[in-house]
Amino acid sequence: MLRTYAPSSDEKVIAGVCAGIARTLGVDATLIRLVFALLALAGGAGILLYLGLWAWASGKRVWVAAVLAFVAGMALLGAVGLSDRAVIGIAVIAGGLALAWRQGGSFHPEAPLSYGGIALAAVGAVVLLSGGGTSTAVLAPGAVAGALLLIGGPWVWRLALERDAERTGRIRSEERSDVAARVHDSVLQTLALIQRHAHDPRRVAALARRQERELRGWLYGDQPLGDDTVSLVAALEEAAGDVEELHGVRVELASAGDSPLDTSVSALVLAAREAMTNAAKFAGVEEIDVYAEVTDDEIGVFVRDRGAGFHRSAVPDDRRGIAESIEGRMERAGGRAKIVTSPGTGTEVELHLPRRTS
Amino acid sequence: MKPRVVLVDDHDLFLAGVRAELGDAVEVVGQAGSVADAVPLIGELDPDVVLLDVHLPDGSGDAIINAVAPERPGVKFLALSVSDAAEDVIAVIRAGARGYVTKTISGPELAAAIERVATGDAVFSPRLAGFVLDAFRAGEVVGNAELDELTPREREVLQLIARGYMYKEIAARLHLSVKTVESHVSNVLRKLQLSTRHELARWATQHRLV
Repeated sequence: MLRTYAPSSDEKVIAGVCAGIARTLGVDATLIRLVFALLALAGGAGILLYLGLWAWASGKRVWVAAVLAFVAGMALLGAVGLSDRAVIGIAVIAGGLALAWRQGGSFHPEAPLSYGGIALAAVGAVVLLSGGGTSTAVLAPGAVAGALLLIGGPWVWRLALERDAERTGRIRSEERSDVAARVHDSVLQTLALIQRHAHDPRRVAALARRQERELRGWLYGDQPLGDDTVSLVAALEEAAGDVEELHGVRVELASAGDSPLDTSVSALVLAAREAMTNAAKFAGVEEIDVYAEVTDDEIGVFVRDRGAGFHRSAVPDDRRGIAESIEGRMERAGGRAKIVTSPGTGTEVELHLPRRTS
Repeated sequence: MKPRVVLVDDHDLFLAGVRAELGDAVEVVGQAGSVADAVPLIGELDPDVVLLDVHLPDGSGDAIINAVAPERPGVKFLALSVSDAAEDVIAVIRAGARGYVTKTISGPELAAAIERVATGDAVFSPRLAGFVLDAFRAGEVVGNAELDELTPREREVLQLIARGYMYKEIAARLHLSVKTVESHVSNVLRKLQLSTRHELARWATQHRLV
């Protein structure tokens, strides 16, 4: 607003300052003149201000105008009854602010911190506060707080920004090292194993498949890579991977639904694993199909191969695999196992576990 | 006559492997590694079957199906993927693919699946059967009951596919003809493509956003 102000030469009484301001503000020049007259009574502040504005508008040195306006402000404060010390204090604070302002426009967070400005403002604050008197009691805390805010605010703001950036960076680097750790624990280990077993294609294939399964589980699902498994399907995947790795077969796992692991579900997984192991060892096939289905009433797991099959009566009694590890385990868990097989048609082990209604 | 096949996959090594494994069983007439290359190529060659990777560098398989299908309604699509994500697979099937097999499938099995798709049948891998059973699991049916629910028989057939049974084994076990089993599977495919069940819609939406 003040930038558009220019002294009015045709309406001037002294230098046209009052008329110019009045025209800029759109008020009657007499009103402005009255204000300046009143200000002139306040320790000559009006006169000084008038001179300052005239110097500024007529293109004289800007610092002359600033000093004149500054002294005018002080005179005014003295005139309204502040003690000398208070006036000096405020003047010093204002000087500090002006210095801080000059040294980098301090309202930007990036601006350099003006130590000179802060020191001046602090000295001013001390002078002001020690000045005493009733008139300063109300004014002083506000003035000090305002000064501190103007000078220190951008600096505090910048600190906060820096801390934010630092925290984001830290989170990012933690994420990166987390991924690196997971990749190291799984993918890199597997690659090392593959190199060591390069002469054994079946083992290499099994390792690659297991790694693929694990990596995919981590990328597409919520299963933690290499961590303890937490659900039926995840546990079956791990069991299938182990059987693939140990016996060089392919295990195709399909599922509909999933269930959290508890002791009986874990028993079911162990029984399924035993069934897969049996199929891998005795069926003489390369592929085993496993299907897990979770319905409202029960969990069903089906382990099927298209291999040799067998006669149940032909299994020696000392072979505990089926009786103990599959049927006995399922019964203890509250479920049942059914084995459908005959020579030449392959084998299917059905595992059923009723779900507890909770 | 051997089916004419176009392969679409961005992994050259895998393409070479598939070509070698398929051998003489099918006639591979062309291959592409991106959506942008595949769309004009398929339009030009008009093959019987397109073997389609679900994920491509410049988009997903369903983008190719959507671009090609209106002009070449005779072309059948078979999705082939390592992706385990149900939403990806379901999205490609809903776009019009006649089936989904995993990349670990053996050469002869893949050739058989291509033959079956070429004649208009559907090909469900055990994994896809599991996804479908999961998606059609008991839940409130809001839309068209005929499309949004599987019949008990279809459920039985799908469960046996998930368990690793082949069509003729399913037919023997359920005392049906192989043709009937095939028509059940085709019906399931149709429901999968037309159903408005919210699980399917949700999967498709997620897929588009990804």
